[in-house]
Amino acid sequence: MDKIETVQEGNVTKVLTHLNYLKQERLPTQWCPGCGNGIVLKLVCQAMEKLDFSQKNTVMVSGIGCSGRSAGYFDLDSIHSVHGRAIPVAEGIKNANPALNVIIISGDGDLLGIGGNHLLHASRRNTNISIVCIANSIYGMTGGQTSPTTEQGSKTLTTPQGNADTPIDVQAILKAHNSYYARTTVFHFNHAEKCITESLQHEGLSFVEIKTQCITNDGRRRGFKNAYEMMMSYKENYKINSKTDTLEHNEIGIIK
Amino acid sequence: MTKILLQGNQAIARAAVKAGLGFYAGYPITPASEILHELVSEKSVKLMQMEDEIASINAIIGASLAGAKSMTATSGPGFSLMQESIGLAHMMEVPLVVVNVQRVGPSTGMPTLPAQGDVLQCKYGSHGDYFPIVFYPNSVDELYQYTFHAFNAAEESRSPVILLSDGYVGHLYETIQIQDYRISKRTLPPLGTSNRHFTGLTHEGSIPATSDPEVHKKFIKHLETKQKKVAKKYNGYEYRENASSDTLLIAYGALSRVSYHFKDDFAICRPIRIFPMIEDIKEIAGQYKRIIVMEMNAGQYVNEVERLLHRKVHLVSVLGGKIDLQEIWTKLKRSRRET
Ligand SMILES: Cc1ncc(C[n+]2csc(CCOP(=O)(O)OP(=O)(O)O)c2C)c(N)n1
Ligand SMILES: [Mg+2]
Repeated sequence: MDKIETVQEGNVTKVLTHLNYLKQERLPTQWCPGCGNGIVLKLVCQAMEKLDFSQKNTVMVSGIGCSGRSAGYFDLDSIHSVHGRAIPVAEGIKNANPALNVIIISGDGDLLGIGGNHLLHASRRNTNISIVCIANSIYGMTGGQTSPTTEQGSKTLTTPQGNADTPIDVQAILKAHNSYYARTTVFHFNHAEKCITESLQHEGLSFVEIKTQCITNDGRRRGFKNAYEMMMSYKENYKINSKTDTLEHNEIGIIK
Repeated sequence: MTKILLQGNQAIARAAVKAGLGFYAGYPITPASEILHELVSEKSVKLMQMEDEIASINAIIGASLAGAKSMTATSGPGFSLMQESIGLAHMMEVPLVVVNVQRVGPSTGMPTLPAQGDVLQCKYGSHGDYFPIVFYPNSVDELYQYTFHAFNAAEESRSPVILLSDGYVGHLYETIQIQDYRISKRTLPPLGTSNRHFTGLTHEGSIPATSDPEVHKKFIKHLETKQKKVAKKYNGYEYRENASSDTLLIAYGALSRVSYHFKDDFAICRPIRIFPMIEDIKEIAGQYKRIIVMEMNAGQYVNEVERLLHRKVHLVSVLGGKIDLQEIWTKLKRSRRET
């Protein structure tokens, strides 16, 4: 394991790594043990560090949900808006001050369900914002109802017999407008970091769908014993595709 | 001083530009669209035609936080869609101007005809407790002037200020004297300068506090105190005394223009800042035996006046968007006779 360097500031021991992008006094996060959201925070921090993003040029926006709490952990000006509306808030920011890097971290229900219409139009406008979608395939915060990314057949609180519907095809939406789209998982850490770093550099709208486990309100209903098993299922189920410009159902990769 | 002929909606757009409008987001709707149209070719305004009014209100919240004075305009159906984020702007303390040019509701109602059915929605439309400042001018000149006030009050209170209008005043053409009004500076440091967290959760500074009732009580008290303090600076109302009458007629917006026809028979009071309510109305009302509120809805402001005065207040209701002088006069006479 890497040696962790620390610095003493008054009573607080600060860790000198990507964690400097977070409000350390607010850690640990409120998320459940085993939640994948923390991995996403780390990934975004590392990508920001690579690109030298700072308080002076970056703003974080979230909607509502467990994932919606992400923005508040960053040591930047950040906004925790209402459910589904992170995208128009971010577009207003970007239009008013194009010099800012505007990053959204929010949930699949937030960005693709209640806020889905805004994604259609923001990608049509190709607004230069970066969206990181924590796709846990469930409405985590409200107890585990089906979300727009829930797989067909999947058991959730509101689909005890299995989800009858197919998940939303985000890839198709983003491709239709030539926006940046990447699919990755929290297991494929290096791949995910590449997806996010590139998305932050992309001129125009970018959307990273990152498969993230929710053991508490999803996995346990689907027979997983713990978060580790869920992450291992990402390893088994998803293969990296860096060749074609269409991702199959079981593939992760970048399309731009 | 220049004199120009302007439409009510145009006056709002022109004044907004002078007041320093930097960002406008909107969605087309009758009878408010002229505000959007008027701003299209303004070089100093960044303009977005959004996919709906929910996007519009949220975009101006983002833009305002990012440093631009921001506005949107709509009518009832769009105003309903905006309610959740109007609450967000109160909670996050974001300066905004939201214009509502009222038409007949509920629902799609009568899109081209004026009404005053959104008066209580301005005050109570979003969930939870908040204390909005609402201006309701009744002429093109006053719309122009109060657009400046709305922007200033928004900055000073760091809250969304509602500029209420109606299909009648909004589409009215009048010659106005263009004057220079005071313009408030921005009060909020823009995004990208610090590590503040703006949240719709109850919060103390940048930290969400979702289980401590004391924090919430303190926060709501803070909102109330702040809004009342700023509102006091804009104590706009008109009072036409009538020593020979025992009845005070209260009217606002489009219908208040009609009330002037009855000035020989009634004293007339016209609040321009309709919320928070003008306290002076208490003293004025004390001089009259009978109080009538005349409004283009089934009875909204009448209840607020009653609550302010702690006495019976009578309603003359004008519904359906038609303003017929003879019909209104008959109703007023009946109301005076029966009470
Ligand atoms: C307008 C509105 N409707 C419903 C809710 C309740 N709500 C809060 S979070 C949430 C779902 C969030 O799901 P997702 O975006 O996937 O985030 P997750 O919790 O899974 O990270 C819902 C429905 C709300 N806050 N606002
Ligand atoms: Mg989710």
